[in-house]
Amino acid sequence: MVEIKNLTKFYGSHAAVQDISFTVGDHEVLGFLGPNGAGKSTTMNMITGCLPSTSGTVLVDGHDITKEPLEVKKLIGYLPELPPVYPEMRVYDYLMFVAGLKLVPRDKRKKQVETAMERLKITDVQKRVIGNLSKGYRQRVGFAQALLGSPKFLILDEPTVGLDPRQVVEVRNLIKELAKDHTIIFSTHILAEVQAVCERVVIINKGQIRAADTIANLENSVSGKIQLCMKIEGDMTKVTGIINQVEGVNEIEEVEFDSMGVNKFIVNVASDDIRKPLISALIANDCVVLEITTRKSSLEEVFVSLTTPGNSRTE
Amino acid sequence: MFSMYKREVQSYFTSPFAFVVSALFLLVFSLSFVTSISSMTSSVLKFSFSNIFYNNFFYFIFMIPLLTMRTFADERKSHTETLWLSSPVTVPQVVFAKYLAVATVFLIMMLLSLFFPLIAVWHGSVIVSSLICGYLGFFLWGLVCIAFGILMSSLTDSPILAAVLGEVSMLTLIFVDDFSKTALIKSMPFVSKVMFWFSTEDRFIKFSQGLFTLSDFVFFLSFSLVVLCWTIIVIEKRRWSRA
Repeated sequence: MVEIKNLTKFYGSHAAVQDISFTVGDHEVLGFLGPNGAGKSTTMNMITGCLPSTSGTVLVDGHDITKEPLEVKKLIGYLPELPPVYPEMRVYDYLMFVAGLKLVPRDKRKKQVETAMERLKITDVQKRVIGNLSKGYRQRVGFAQALLGSPKFLILDEPTVGLDPRQVVEVRNLIKELAKDHTIIFSTHILAEVQAVCERVVIINKGQIRAADTIANLENSVSGKIQLCMKIEGDMTKVTGIINQVEGVNEIEEVEFDSMGVNKFIVNVASDDIRKPLISALIANDCVVLEITTRKSSLEEVFVSLTTPGNSRTE
Repeated sequence: MFSMYKREVQSYFTSPFAFVVSALFLLVFSLSFVTSISSMTSSVLKFSFSNIFYNNFFYFIFMIPLLTMRTFADERKSHTETLWLSSPVTVPQVVFAKYLAVATVFLIMMLLSLFFPLIAVWHGSVIVSSLICGYLGFFLWGLVCIAFGILMSSLTDSPILAAVLGEVSMLTLIFVDDFSKTALIKSMPFVSKVMFWFSTEDRFIKFSQGLFTLSDFVFFLSFSLVVLCWTIIVIEKRRWSRA
């Protein structure tokens, strides 16, 4: 379990990260979302011990990073934004070096390096000099490095940046696979990625947490509304009256003319469940429902609304 | 720590870097060797290498920064610092690993230069005590310079700037001796004494005369250690203020 407690980082008088707290459970994949410059990398650097915090701390499996940094570092595999690879080294030599640095016992190094190379599909480039590899391959070498030492926790800072679409899918699948026996925190500003991989997200903006919840809850609750969009044939005032009488309807937000005798109603409702009574009521009054769809705010809307200046919502 | 050391030493030899610097060192050594041999006065029947080392001092000021300039500056430039900062190693371990790696390369260069004394021994006679102590003194002096070079490399992310700063610091180190003997400084006995204490050159002269004193030995090692600790502080400090 990773517990982040009141983490704060000041650069001079500028607060890069302010009073961040959240917890990541075992075998969880947590998406760390935020626009560029929100403080994602700073937070990740603090979790991995690269950067000391101004105040607050991180507990990894009960080990405090400020008191037992080496214990914490043994538990964490980190892929920074720019893969920390030495351009003059060969892939295999580099990974063997990192395995040594991560205190992997000598007799297990070869095996671990080979497994990591297979997972990232870089076995065929193992003899090549890293400086000559493409950005995608370099990113994968960096990823392989994070897996060495069998860390329980993986911190991945924008792991898919610079990869081609096929590789992006591969990396996402890899993250899903790794989630079986690792706890993963990964940052990104690509929302599709989060939806594909994570259960829970933390959204951060300007160094502060804006939201921390499951994706489903966030989508439902950006402004606490679920909307039904209905096309109904019938007299507008009559339909309005019927809709308003159904229990669970909050308000009719908008009525648009669609075609002759047909209007589009956008109705704010408390929950999805009222669709059935609503339709029954309309049919009982001879109104024809042509179409009904539920409109939830997408993660994208949640993200935009939470990271736009002026809006704020904390869990 | 050993992995770090191994990687550093390998990085010198996988690139032509160490070879070129060693070749340069041997070139300087051989040139001074030839000139010393040819200008030997007949009254001296035994050959001493102290002059060669002495001449090498100034060339060495330009060679050691070449070896040390990349140690930390390059790591900052290529963002590989995060690798060891997030690994279960401490900053002092990394600094010492890098220091030992450069010292190893330096030692290899010194061993290569043994070629010249061997030839001299074979074809003539040398003052052995002066030779051994000369080598030892030169190596110790090199260790101090390496420590300074690494310190300068930790201050910047440009290897070239690190090399220039290293040269400046080593020149200062060499000229401390002369400064302490100027009339102005001599008028302040205490300052002169302190400055003279830091003079590596004076201590080296003792070594080259075949005199091995423990105090000088301790001085060189502790001086290197202090500079290395300074490097550790610089790196730790930057971790705190890094943006």
